[in-house]
Amino acid sequence: MASLAARRSKDAVVKALSTGFAFLALFLLGWILWTLLARGLPALSFSVFTNVTAPPGQNGGLANAIVGSLIQVGIAMLIGAPIGIFAGTFLAENGKGTKIAAAARFVNDILLSAPSILVGLFIYTLLVVPLGGFSGWAGSLALAILVIPVVVRTTEDMLNLVPVGLREAAFALGAPQWKVVMFITWRAARAGIVTGLLLAIARAAGETAPLLFTSLGNNAWSLDLNSPMASLPVAIYQYAGSPFDDWVALAWAGALIITVGVLVLNVVSRLVLSRGH
Amino acid sequence: MTSAVDPSISIATSVAARPDAPPAPVKLKVEGLQFYYGQSHALKNINFEIPEKRVTAMIGPSGCGKSTLLRVFNRMYDLYPGQRAEGQVLFDGVNIVGKELDSTVVRSRIGMVFQKPTPFPMSIYDNIAFGVRLHERLNKSQMDERVEWCLRKAAIWDETKDRLNTSALGMSGGQQQRLCIARTIAVRPEVILLDEPTSALDPISTSKIEDLIDELKRDFTIVIVTHNMQQAARCADITAFFYLGELIEVAPSDVIFTNPKEIKTRDYITGRFG
Repeated sequence: MASLAARRSKDAVVKALSTGFAFLALFLLGWILWTLLARGLPALSFSVFTNVTAPPGQNGGLANAIVGSLIQVGIAMLIGAPIGIFAGTFLAENGKGTKIAAAARFVNDILLSAPSILVGLFIYTLLVVPLGGFSGWAGSLALAILVIPVVVRTTEDMLNLVPVGLREAAFALGAPQWKVVMFITWRAARAGIVTGLLLAIARAAGETAPLLFTSLGNNAWSLDLNSPMASLPVAIYQYAGSPFDDWVALAWAGALIITVGVLVLNVVSRLVLSRGH
Repeated sequence: MTSAVDPSISIATSVAARPDAPPAPVKLKVEGLQFYYGQSHALKNINFEIPEKRVTAMIGPSGCGKSTLLRVFNRMYDLYPGQRAEGQVLFDGVNIVGKELDSTVVRSRIGMVFQKPTPFPMSIYDNIAFGVRLHERLNKSQMDERVEWCLRKAAIWDETKDRLNTSALGMSGGQQQRLCIARTIAVRPEVILLDEPTSALDPISTSKIEDLIDELKRDFTIVIVTHNMQQAARCADITAFFYLGELIEVAPSDVIFTNPKEIKTRDYITGRFG
């Protein structure tokens, strides 16, 4: 057995390392946030939210991109959330221990870590090419495919945390399985499932790659889901690489808007979770 | 709770309290019951009868099959594919093992309370209304009446009447367990199965639940699994001793605890093993 002094010094080294790296990680995060605020805040003005994108020097905004993102993420959630919740419920409740559940879980894990650009290409070949054009629908579907595995995973995990005793107690009252799931297990796991949905929204809102070949982007105001649609990540991608100072500033403003949006979602999901317990 | 009561006294009082109870009709009749968890043979040819409106205790060391038998009575094993039962359990003459009766019907007539309190994550009122709504359509005032009725039966009305709409998760463990009993009663079953209902509770909550069991047997047939022999002696009219998946002996509690026929029973209740 090592001497007390040796153990103490080992302890001190490990403590110093873990504390140091924790601060390093925090520092990098703080640095990113600081840069974002420093560049984004000055560019943020009322017109960013009211004006549509415009050629350089014409006081353009991001209104079409913001609305386009909201629409596409919204539709993606409408499609992806029910599929994800029901699939996750199958994995945790009905399909537990079956081969089909094991296969579904495996595929879902692959989908979860698949590069998002692949999802964009998939929708491109499946929808954009046959239908002959980029569209808001294609963008929404690509985002939906990204949303599904996140929701499946969080739903399954959260349902697995519900004690077996709670399910048995509901069954013991003579409840059929669908009522046990809908009124007891979903309810018990509600906070966690909602958190998963919010995280999925955050994930979808920040994605550029799946939208590049699907909804493409649109510099005019458009609510038509059958034509190309603007989105914040694509606008940032276009503007950040441009040589025009006002476009670059708008890209920073857009990045700030997404970040604050995601931050708010995360804080809300924490609040929901803490209230659930 | 074991140290709180001198076993010899409690056995003596239990004998005094039940001098030759008249024979009751049979509520559950177990005939040639075998139970398997996959390959493992957990219950071996069990035969016995549970009388109506009496308290029947099932005792025995861990793994003896007593909880398994309880879970056969309300078809809990149906939930798990690897578990199967053979033989018969006649409930008022109808076999409940097998496919004759739907498991939800069996469970509504044979309720169960578990070892750990399992309040649902909803209000006290809804905890009770959930089970009732599964089987009956009641209007608001009927439901209010039912909730009050079962909370009174479970001796928890005074503690809950002013907070029916607050979450059941905020109650103490003992209150939660009595709520679970109330919830089970609310469905108006004929039999109530109690699976070590007090093993997670403090002595005061335990004695409240034991008093409650005494009250409930006026209306319900009660089967209780317990690790606590004093509890069986205090509460049960009849006690069945299980060992390694077999029913060793079943007799009126005063006989089991004072003059058992089988040596194994004697060894167990005197603490030689278990």
